[in-house]
Amino acid sequence: MIEIFQQAINGLAIGAVYTLIALGLTVVFGILGIAHFAHGSVAMFGGYLTFTFAERFGLPFFVAMGLAMVVGAVVGLLIERLAYRPVRDAPHINAFIIALGLTMMIEGINLLIFGADQVVIQTPYRGVFNVFGIAIAELRVLVILTACVLIAVIALLISRTKTGKSIRAVAQNRQAAVLMGVNVSMVSLVVFSISSALGVSAGALIGALLAIAPGVGEGLAVKGFAVLILGGLGSIPGAIVGGLILGVSEAMAAGFISSAYKDVIAFLVMIVVLLFRPEGLLGKR
Amino acid sequence: MNPKIVRMTWIAALLVGALALPSVVKVPYFMHLIILALVWVILAQGQNLIQGFVGYVSIAQAGFMGIGAYFSTLLTVKLGWSVWMTLCLSPLFTALVSVLVGYPSLRVKGHYFAIVTLAYNMVIFTILLTFSSLTGGEAGISNVPRPAEFSVFGWLFNFEGRSNAPYYWLVLLSAFFATGLCASILHSRVGRVLVAIRQNEVLADAVGVSTWRYKLFAFVVSAGLAGLAGSLYAHYIGFLNPEPFGVDQSLNAILAVILGGSGTLTGPVVGAFAVTFLPEYLRIADSYRLVTYGFILVVATIFLPRGLVPVAQSLFLRVKSMIAGKK
Repeated sequence: MIEIFQQAINGLAIGAVYTLIALGLTVVFGILGIAHFAHGSVAMFGGYLTFTFAERFGLPFFVAMGLAMVVGAVVGLLIERLAYRPVRDAPHINAFIIALGLTMMIEGINLLIFGADQVVIQTPYRGVFNVFGIAIAELRVLVILTACVLIAVIALLISRTKTGKSIRAVAQNRQAAVLMGVNVSMVSLVVFSISSALGVSAGALIGALLAIAPGVGEGLAVKGFAVLILGGLGSIPGAIVGGLILGVSEAMAAGFISSAYKDVIAFLVMIVVLLFRPEGLLGKR
Repeated sequence: MNPKIVRMTWIAALLVGALALPSVVKVPYFMHLIILALVWVILAQGQNLIQGFVGYVSIAQAGFMGIGAYFSTLLTVKLGWSVWMTLCLSPLFTALVSVLVGYPSLRVKGHYFAIVTLAYNMVIFTILLTFSSLTGGEAGISNVPRPAEFSVFGWLFNFEGRSNAPYYWLVLLSAFFATGLCASILHSRVGRVLVAIRQNEVLADAVGVSTWRYKLFAFVVSAGLAGLAGSLYAHYIGFLNPEPFGVDQSLNAILAVILGGSGTLTGPVVGAFAVTFLPEYLRIADSYRLVTYGFILVVATIFLPRGLVPVAQSLFLRVKSMIAGKK
C-alpha cells in the first residue's frame, strides 16, 4: 500500500513537469493552431543552459533557471519570427513540417554546444521528508511547487491582463480579433516567448529531477502531446489533469510492471483514451 | 501518337536502362548507395501515399520498416524459412499490424494523427530495443541471410556472390512495383477519393464518402510498402539492430517526400535519392549534419513548399514555351 503512495508522489513530480511542457504546447496550439513539435528540444536546450549557468558560474539553481527562461523567451521570439511566420497562411501541415525541421536543428545545436554527455543538474535540495512512512524528497516537492507557481502566473496573465485578453481574443476568433484592432503578430510573438520560457523551466526541472541527454527532447515533446490528447486540446485544466495522470501512470508502470516499458504504457493510456474519448478527458465534444 | 503509348515506351526504356546500370557503374560503393536509395524509394512512395495523397503526416514509417525487417529476419534466422517467402509475407504482416494501430489513430486529425503515429514509432523502437530475448536488443542480429540463388533460362542469379547486381535488380523491380502500385492507386477511383480527402475532408464526408475506410486503406498500403522496404534492407545489409528504425528515420522519409514533391509520383523517387546521397556528400560536416538537415527542411518548406519535381516541371514548361514562342 505504502509502495503505491510512494510511486504516486514520484509520479506527481514528473507529472508536474509534463504539465509544464503541455502548457507551453497547449497555448501555442490553442491560440495559433501550430503543433510546435520542437518544444521538447527547446526544453532540453533550457535544461543544458541552466546546467551551464549553475555549474560554470555557480549560480543558485532557481536563479540559473530564471536566466535560462529569459534566454528561452528570446529563442521563442526568434523561432516565431524566422520559422513559423513565413508559413502562417500556408496549410497547417507546412507549419508541422517546419516544426520537425526545427527539432532537428535545435537537437543538432544542443549537440554542438553542449556535447553528447548525459547531464544532471546538482541542486542543494537533498532533504527527505517522512510522512506516514512515505519518503518524500525535498526536490520533488520543490518541483511540484515551482510548477504550481508557474501555472498560476500563466493563468493570471491570460485571464487578468490586457495582453491576456488579446491572446484570448485571437484564440476565439482570429479575424474578429484583427478587426477589433488586436495586433496578431504581437500576440503570436508573446505566446511563443511565454511557451518557450515554460518549456525551458520544464527542461531545467527535468535536468534536476532525472537527467538530460540528447534525444530526450523528442520524447518530452511526444509526452507533452500525449498529455494534450489525454486532457483535451487547447484546454489548460486539461493539460494539468492530463499531465498528472500521465506522470502517475508512468510511475506506477515503472514501479509495478517494468521500467523499460514505462513509455510504452504511457502511450497505451493515450491510445485507449483516443479510442473511447477522442476529444480528451476535459475536451469539449 | 497516343500519349499513353509514348509514356509506356518511356517507362520501358527507363526500366531497361536501369537494369543495365550495373554494367556501367563499376564502383561497388556507388552500387551500394543506389541499392539503399532504391529501398528508400519504396519507403518514400509509401510515405507519399499517406502524406502526399491523403494529407495525413504519419511519423511511423521507419517503425513499420522495422517491423517488416525483424519479421523477415526472425523467420529466416530462427525458423529457417525461405527468404523469398518472408519477403512476400513481411509486407502483409506489417499491413496487418498497421490495421490494428491505424484504426484508433485515424480517429484524430491533422497534427494529432502525426503525434499518435510518432508515439507508435517510439513504442516499436522501445520494444525492438528492450525485448532482447527475441530481437537481440542493441547488439542486434548478425548473419541475416540473402535470398537463395535461382536460375532462369540458364542465367544464374546468385545473391550471395561478390557482385551486388542481382540484389540491385531485385530492389529495382520492387521499387518499380511500389511506384506502379502508387500510380495505379492514384489513377483509380480510390486515388481520387484520397486526393478529395486531402483537399476537403468535411466535404468528402458530407457527400457520403466514408472517409475513414479510405484513410485506413492508404495507411495500410503505406505501412505494407514500409514492411517490404524493411525486409529488403535487412536481407541486403545482413545485420539488424533497432538503430535504423527510430523516429529520425521517419522524419527522413518525410523529408524525402517534401524535398522531392509531395503528392507527385516522381517526387518520392527524387527525394529518396536526395536523402541517401546528400548525407554522403555532407559527410565533411558530420557534426553539423542534423543542423544542416533541419535547416534544409525548414528552408525547403518555406521557399519550396511544392518540392523539387513540380518546380523543375514548371521551369521546363516555361523554357519550352519560351522556345516555342521564339519560333
